[in-house]
Amino acid sequence: MRFLNIVAIVALYAPCSFAQKPAPLPKDLPPYGPEKPIEAPSVKIARLDNGLTVWMVSEPGFPKLSYTVVIRGGYAADPSDRPGISELLSNTIDQGTKSRNARKIAEEFQGAGGDLSASAGPDEIEVSTTILASKAEPAIAVLADIVQNASFPDDQVALAKKNLADSLQQQEADPSFLASRAVAKVLFGTSPYHVISPTQESIAGSTPANLRKIYAQRFRPDQTAFIAVGDFRNEKMLELVKTNFGGWRAPAESPMADIGRLNPEAAHAVFLVERPGSVQTTIELAAAGPLRSDPDYESAVVANAIYGGTFGSRLTLNIREDKGYTYSPFAELNTYRAAGDFVTRADVRNAVTGATYNEMSYELNRMVTTTPTPEELTQAKRFLVGIEAIRLQSRSSVAEGLSDLWVKGLPPEEIGIYGKKIAATTSDDVDAAAKKYFPASRAAIVAVGEGKVVREALAPFGIPIQPAP
Amino acid sequence: MKRSFCLFVLCAVLCFASSAGAQEWKPPTSMKKLPNGLIVVVSEDHSAPTFGICVSYRIGFRLEPEGRTGFAHLFEHMMFEGTPNSPKGVFDRVIESGGGANNGDTRYDFTEYIETAPVSALDPLLWLEADRMKTLDFSTKNLENQRNVVEEEVRVNVMNQPYGFFFAIDLPGKAFDTYPNAHNFYGDFKDLNAARIEDVQKFYEQYYSPNNAVMAIVGDVNPNEVYEKVEKYFAGIPSRPTPPRPTMEEKPQTAERREIETDKLAKVPALAIGYRMPPPRSSSSLAAAVTGELLHNGQASRLYQALVKEKQVALSVDGGVNWPLGNPFEYNGPTLMVSFIVYPPKVTEDQLLAAYDATIRELSAKGPSQQDLDRVVTKMRSDSYGQLEIPITRASALSHAVLFTGSFESVFNMPDELTKVTPDQVREFAAKYLVSTNRTIINRVPVPASPDAGKSGGAQ
Repeated sequence: MRFLNIVAIVALYAPCSFAQKPAPLPKDLPPYGPEKPIEAPSVKIARLDNGLTVWMVSEPGFPKLSYTVVIRGGYAADPSDRPGISELLSNTIDQGTKSRNARKIAEEFQGAGGDLSASAGPDEIEVSTTILASKAEPAIAVLADIVQNASFPDDQVALAKKNLADSLQQQEADPSFLASRAVAKVLFGTSPYHVISPTQESIAGSTPANLRKIYAQRFRPDQTAFIAVGDFRNEKMLELVKTNFGGWRAPAESPMADIGRLNPEAAHAVFLVERPGSVQTTIELAAAGPLRSDPDYESAVVANAIYGGTFGSRLTLNIREDKGYTYSPFAELNTYRAAGDFVTRADVRNAVTGATYNEMSYELNRMVTTTPTPEELTQAKRFLVGIEAIRLQSRSSVAEGLSDLWVKGLPPEEIGIYGKKIAATTSDDVDAAAKKYFPASRAAIVAVGEGKVVREALAPFGIPIQPAP
Repeated sequence: MKRSFCLFVLCAVLCFASSAGAQEWKPPTSMKKLPNGLIVVVSEDHSAPTFGICVSYRIGFRLEPEGRTGFAHLFEHMMFEGTPNSPKGVFDRVIESGGGANNGDTRYDFTEYIETAPVSALDPLLWLEADRMKTLDFSTKNLENQRNVVEEEVRVNVMNQPYGFFFAIDLPGKAFDTYPNAHNFYGDFKDLNAARIEDVQKFYEQYYSPNNAVMAIVGDVNPNEVYEKVEKYFAGIPSRPTPPRPTMEEKPQTAERREIETDKLAKVPALAIGYRMPPPRSSSSLAAAVTGELLHNGQASRLYQALVKEKQVALSVDGGVNWPLGNPFEYNGPTLMVSFIVYPPKVTEDQLLAAYDATIRELSAKGPSQQDLDRVVTKMRSDSYGQLEIPITRASALSHAVLFTGSFESVFNMPDELTKVTPDQVREFAAKYLVSTNRTIINRVPVPASPDAGKSGGAQ
């Protein structure tokens, strides 16, 4: 959905609460019932002769269907003189093919009950749609056409460039965007992952010819996965895929090489993004994190759930429920194909900027210096396992999860293994992950807000303060 | 926009999806009323060993007292602050340890509390929902804490954001004349600061009774077992009188209303247009819903095609009936069809509006083709399945339908109903309602930040 971000703001969330010292459970509270086994989606794997990977999850009974086509190569693969051109490519890929114009494409998806979503990520470009299962055939035909025959018409590219330039200008007002952009530059320097968005210059300089060239290089069956989840039979779906993608041929050139693992090292300094007029400071603490395929990934996820990744986490209890500094603090591990990062974030009123940084550092270091209680560990693990089961109820979430695994070079079975690894995580595992990833001194501090407010608030910590790159 | 915790974005999707299921797909669903007035809906879904609960109370922004703007939402936060039996923190610890998550939502005509978890957590969660339907821990300290949290919520979502949500706060404020429909639902800080614990207590007694609530439970459950459990935990809660519902009606609008606002955080201008809509569940409600989607839903929509693609006077178009705080079927008082359009700085308001009006005029004059209408209805059906796919959002749809109509059937019948809308009905609806005398327009234009900035136009 184009404006999910706006719509998401709308809900007036009132999440949870916690006492610093857990209160005893009420004596009449009934216990949990017996656990029922959670079955992971069963993924049928196939590969076409042209190298296209096909992953299918047949879930009959509910009349919807999700298609995702994911192609290797995103922002990190963009030419250095065209940073972020993947964004323009994803904005224009559905704007015309050899046989369909932009309006016809949009109307055909609408007529199947879906929207086409095309997006660029660090390592991939993804096109997906969720439709009525009864429209499986017409929808796959137009999807296949876009993936194989996009034409990037001159007039549509010109319009997309203009609109993207205005959107980029608008993004400059958004504190979340400013913080994320600064974090990427601070963590990744000049390596491929430092780009999270195009620049005005790269967009202005991009031509339809540039887009067609990148499209021809990256969009090839041996670098693409087709994922279907929903109400269909696997044999029938595979036939549909063969009919619509079977004639696709990879170019003779070899596909682009993988980038080697990156180990970002952030300077422990304050990187200031001045935003005059801010009534809040957006603070992000950012450091290197594990890769999705690292053996300690799940341990770090559990540690993060205890620290700041849930409403019941220590950080939320502290700076929201106890002190009321912020509405929505969070901490998360982001993974890329060749790197990982670990970010803590809160938007806080100007007056508590310094106090919030102090509490974030304290909670990070508390994870490093003390072992979580058995109750905290159990709660975090059960939460993560249960939430995963809930997430996998939605067809589009399953498709999204599988696409993410494929991009990171992991097998589809991992979608079921994740929960088991979480459940098997021990207290020692959590301690080890916390010691490795959580020391506050590993983190760069990005602050977006009134310059004077931030400088005065963070001066007492004795950390160098410099403008963000 | 990153939400604090990604699971909860799910419930935001409610705003967009139409509240409807389909004839071909109707899961086993039933309903019972307890002697104390609590209505319980159970819908089965055995595709995964999980469930979702939605408890909706018949109280929203419209009913909050004058001088207490934002109170319904502040109160919602207090529902998470514990009871004498289960102090602050217990609810969340039980649900997270049970592998689930919870949240709350306040809207114009309801406040909902939602939980989803593996089925092993059903008993303790029903007990906890019943516990907070009996009484709360009316604590001044917790009120003070949540007042701070809510004020940060307003800062992050309104005051520190470009556009400051003006299409949802300022537009109804200008389009309507009576307090229930026009006031700032997030709340003026002076009103939030004036709220006392006695207000919390009174509000609870007035509106948070079993007879003012509908609870829907969806998932891998046996309906008879669920009814037994509900009986056990909820039957002992006494019903209480609720205050009579004040009139929400507005005097008819007779002239177009226009306003210009400045924005110190936005970089490009935006226009919000709001047309007053027919009353809920009236003869033209379906045509209104379809028209709203025909104009706004996706890249194939008329406004996107005309303004963004053909005339190139807009960057984005969003909107619909009862947008963005609900879907076209879930409201119980005056509402608007909203268009929110971000447009390039080089385009003037007049140019944009001329293009917008041409689109509306064409619809009012010719109506849609049957083909265009069929596509939109297919999309609306698909969106509505999207809402029924997973337990927690299906529970929301069912409980809202029962809250507003006394029956859940509309959730499953709506797709059939939508297919009955004719091109002529859309044309007639557009010709009658989408006229300038029935609308309000706010143009929001960027101005450079000044040293005393921090008070954008939309936030008070």
